[in-house]
Amino acid sequence: MRVWQVAVVLNLTFAVGLGLGYAGWGRRADALDREFEAARAQVERLERERQACAAGGRAGEQQWDGRGVVRAIYPHLVVVTHEEIRGLLPARTTGFPAASPQLGDSVRVGDPVRFSLRGTLIDDAALVTIERW
Amino acid sequence: MRILLLTALSAHLASSVLVVGTFFMLLLAGPSRAPTARRWEGAMVVWGRLLLLVALGSGIVWLLVRTALFEGRAQAALEPRAVLHAVLDTWPGLIWLARHGILVILAAFLAIRSDLTERRDWIAARVEALALGALALALMSASSHAAAISPGTALTVAIDACHLLGTGVWLGGLVALGALLRAASRDADADDRAHAVITARRFSRVALVAMLALMGSGVLNALAQVENIAALVGTPHGRLLLAKVAVLVPILGLAAVNRRRLLPALPGPEAMRRLVAFVGVEAMLALVLLVLAAAMTLTTPARHAEPVWPLPVRLSLDTPLDGSATRWRALLASQLAVLGAVALIASFFSLRRRAPLLAGALALAAVAAAVGLPPFVVDAYPTTYRRPLRTYHATSIASGSAIYWGQCAACHHGTPADLRSASTSRRHAGELFWLVSHGRPERGMPAFENRLEEAQRWDVINFIRALGTAAGSKSLGAQVQLDGAWLIAPDFTISVGPLAPGALRDYRGRRMVLLVLYTLPGSRARISELARKYNLLSTLGVEIIAVPMQTSADAIRELGASPPVLFPVVTDGNAAIIATYGMFASGPHAELLIDRQGYVRAIWRDDTGEIQVQVERLNEEKSVPPFPDDHVH
Ligand code: HEC
Repeated sequence: MRVWQVAVVLNLTFAVGLGLGYAGWGRRADALDREFEAARAQVERLERERQACAAGGRAGEQQWDGRGVVRAIYPHLVVVTHEEIRGLLPARTTGFPAASPQLGDSVRVGDPVRFSLRGTLIDDAALVTIERW
Repeated sequence: MRILLLTALSAHLASSVLVVGTFFMLLLAGPSRAPTARRWEGAMVVWGRLLLLVALGSGIVWLLVRTALFEGRAQAALEPRAVLHAVLDTWPGLIWLARHGILVILAAFLAIRSDLTERRDWIAARVEALALGALALALMSASSHAAAISPGTALTVAIDACHLLGTGVWLGGLVALGALLRAASRDADADDRAHAVITARRFSRVALVAMLALMGSGVLNALAQVENIAALVGTPHGRLLLAKVAVLVPILGLAAVNRRRLLPALPGPEAMRRLVAFVGVEAMLALVLLVLAAAMTLTTPARHAEPVWPLPVRLSLDTPLDGSATRWRALLASQLAVLGAVALIASFFSLRRRAPLLAGALALAAVAAAVGLPPFVVDAYPTTYRRPLRTYHATSIASGSAIYWGQCAACHHGTPADLRSASTSRRHAGELFWLVSHGRPERGMPAFENRLEEAQRWDVINFIRALGTAAGSKSLGAQVQLDGAWLIAPDFTISVGPLAPGALRDYRGRRMVLLVLYTLPGSRARISELARKYNLLSTLGVEIIAVPMQTSADAIRELGASPPVLFPVVTDGNAAIIATYGMFASGPHAELLIDRQGYVRAIWRDDTGEIQVQVERLNEEKSVPPFPDDHVH
């Protein structure tokens, strides 16, 4: 073989090796990352659905738990300054609809509380339990 | 161990660099039939093989020593598992593997005995060798200090790679050229000499470009790694850089002589011999540069090291130009400097009077410096550029406050040595640190090095800063002054009940903050008003943070349920906030408007104005000041 041919073959090998390496491992690693994220979100979601189900929720509903401080109480709305609620909301102050009008009776403004929300999405998530922390 | 590491790294760096330059030179010289040139080419290929062996050998030593240092025991260097771990599980290890893989392939490629009589083969062989060598060299930048800079990693790595390749072309080419010229000056016929001269001229052109690229990328590298003068003269990394520049100056001088005087005189035998000698000296100096560069990669980058200022003085541009004598000096110096600049420019255009003009320009510059600089020279201490241990945070300022009122106020509050004076505010934080630590016993200032912890000394310095700005904050009132952001709002922790705490700086770049310091029952009406306006203000980009002046676990409940107060109310750590912000605005009720960048822009003391107008003014402000630093200066 001539030297220039050797050089060409060598460079081709490099290029092909790099390409195959990326096609084989690089893309697989990316795909695995994505799959892992999706699976984790799924597991967290299933866990919330299981909680909702155990507490008597309807099919497709999830349950989220959070901690916060009560800021205002109305018969159908409880306003809470809360920490991050995983899978639902960042830390902030939110008004949650109360599942039953008596729910707010057990707590007062300024109380630190634990609470759970149930629903399919943020739009219909309602407060189902709230208790002093 | 360190010495061994430095030696191995220097040898590795030098051989990798020389390989690139050698093959670059072969390509630059082109194929030749002249016997001396053929012999030189053969010698260069052998030299290239030798360099590769050195590179591989020193590379392995470097890896082993690094493993030992990494594991913290000398024996680890010989344990296959530890070495494998260092190679496969660390980023620099992977880069090492890739580079040495390429070097092995290059070595195998060179080992093939091949027939290069055909032009195509010759070119392919040389280009391939150059490409592999260059790839192995450039990859080095991927595990250098440059790769640790973010954001902008890709750019700094590219600049570093450019620097390495420039070194390769220039230094490796220089050595190869030296060998060619030597061979040609000894035993060559006219043909050979012509070939050598042509090659030298070509290289001279390439070297100029390579040198410019080297200096350009070197300056950019230094800007990224060193960042400021203090880091340059005050850290080992910076001083190595200075040493590099010092070695570079004679190299540039030699290169200029070669280019201007010797190259045009070729192929005269005298000029040829001189050139050989000069090229040799240049290459030796360049190898010193390489060792310094290797040492730099082994020291902490200057931007991460604590600078120790070596001089008893420094220049300070914020010295006030008061007093007519000072102003006269400044005027005179600036005129002299302008004259000097004119002389300098003239020296470029005048061919005959260049030397006297240049000397005159330098003399003028020196006189201008001697006249103009003294007012700007101020005392400096080893810690002048030290970075504060504590951030400019309300808790730090509050504990500094306690120390100040307990230990310093007797001598410093309302006395001639008042720390609120402008001259103290102009001092760097590191300078105050030195003065507080070591005192000035001869002038009545005790040393606190043994009486206060280091953190406490930084606390008190943060407090002194806040105290200094508090005096100026009197000028801040209910009206936002456009483009007048200067009062840095010290950061503080926002904790509401037992929830995970946030911080003022979380709002930076996102929302303005209206900080409300309140006392019940006096503030109740105002709090209710704010509660009703919360929605509107929130829409305008304002968060309200209420801090009770009196600590109370029930602060939220005490505000009452109607109207509902929905903005954050700090229930923990409010004492530090009150101690800090109380310096800007005391009283039972005060409000401070903090802009999105983190500067206090308006203060309402007792009176409560129309904040919506001020918020709208801030929303309309066009120029945005930079975010304030987390540490005082
Ligand atoms: C016994 C009295 C005394 C005490 C206590 C004292 N100082 Fe001083 N300090 C002085 C005097 C006097 C000077 C002026 C020295 C001079 O003129 O250079 C001074 C100067 C200083 C300076 C330099 C000011 C400048 O800009 O030149 C600083 C900073 C300083 N003191 C900080 C402190 C701190 C912080 C404390 C408390 C931890 C403290 N001092 C306690 C007497 C005192």
